[in-house]
Amino acid sequence: MPLDSLAYPLAVFLDLPFREGYVSSIIYVSLYVSGIAVGLSTLFSIPVALTMGFTDFPGKRILKSVINTGMGFPSVVVGLLVLFAVSNQGPLGTFDLIFTREAMIISQFALATPPITAISLAAVTGVDDDVRDAAHVLGGTSLDVALVVVKEARYGIATAILAGFGRAISEVGSVLIVGATSRRRGASRRRGR
Amino acid sequence: MIRLEDLSHAYGDERVLADVSLTVDPGEVVAIIGPSGVGKTTLLRILALNRRPTEGTVELDGQRAWSVDESRRLELRRRVGMVFQRASLFDASVARNVAYGLRVRRSWRTRLADGVRSLVGSNDLPAAVEEALDVVELRDKVDQDARSLSGGEAQRVSFARALAYDPAYLLLDEPTSDLDPRNTGLIEAAVGEARDRGLGVVVATHDMHQAERIADRAAVLLGDGLTEVGPTERIFEDPTDERTRKFISGELVY
Repeated sequence: MPLDSLAYPLAVFLDLPFREGYVSSIIYVSLYVSGIAVGLSTLFSIPVALTMGFTDFPGKRILKSVINTGMGFPSVVVGLLVLFAVSNQGPLGTFDLIFTREAMIISQFALATPPITAISLAAVTGVDDDVRDAAHVLGGTSLDVALVVVKEARYGIATAILAGFGRAISEVGSVLIVGATSRRRGASRRRGR
Repeated sequence: MIRLEDLSHAYGDERVLADVSLTVDPGEVVAIIGPSGVGKTTLLRILALNRRPTEGTVELDGQRAWSVDESRRLELRRRVGMVFQRASLFDASVARNVAYGLRVRRSWRTRLADGVRSLVGSNDLPAAVEEALDVVELRDKVDQDARSLSGGEAQRVSFARALAYDPAYLLLDEPTSDLDPRNTGLIEAAVGEARDRGLGVVVATHDMHQAERIADRAAVLLGDGLTEVGPTERIFEDPTDERTRKFISGELVY
């Protein structure tokens, strides 16, 4: 069969989801919301992992358990908790976030943070103590030492971010609850409407 | 001068060092001799201001290192270079490893500019890095990945890394324990060179012959304290302390 005869049906097949603006907007919103959530979560998680990896403080073991539990937390439960938080009577109720992208970002942040923190923690604690101390005795400040550790653990941290992104984008359950599925409002309504 | 006074250190309940007093002058090599696990590494880390002793004072060039504020201590810390027993190189090129000490001493603005320049590929090697690599005869490995070096080469790079920023004191923790005679010879020659340039060098070693070869003074660490400190030759030929005598003659085995 000549390739030409395949071209038209193929084009229709590939183009189909994008003809209907609804589908493309779903893809766009999914990537947008997950990307922002994972970015914020990374900025939050890596300093937490570094602090947990290299300092001792009261409650560290409990925090570690909370993070590990969070890794396996059902996404629907996370969604419900965020829903309570952003609903009118919730602690974030005044910000009018319910059924918005911001609420989805909060929910995905809560989903992505435990795996990113836990895997980053494993990666940074895996860095050779002597390498860390070398950065210190050669004259590095605490920030220099942290940068060396992050650089040494970069593959592990990249894995952590990918795992976090995977969890954020795949766990539809949690974001559906707070993002809503109302077709009338598109993928989710704009804030403040 | 580095001065330790009545220094004690413990890890939890385990006492490692007790009442250690020691001075290191510029232009001399002091060997800390003792069996493995006696606390030589801990002592060196305390000298490097990497660890805070549980008791006692560490004085560097007349300033009490743990009584001053953080930024002043950083300044003091930066007068000291240290080489660990394992090379502990960063996962980067030899050049970047050796330049590390210089890099962290620059302002963030310069560092950022250097980073951009190295991305474009027009970064010249600082002269100090070249000189330090010349001392350990590894100029030709400058672009190599540090983790691909042999053990001896890695340890020499580690030495060059501590030398590159021109510290006033150099601390070496068993720097040649895993090395062949050639690499050992190179490091020992570099230690002599550093002393001649006026650096105060402290070498922790369990190799008594090495201490005899390179050190002006020796401090014998047995149990948890220094049993004897003095000119190397005198300590080896005529130790006054009974435990030192037994350790040197090989009778006292821990």
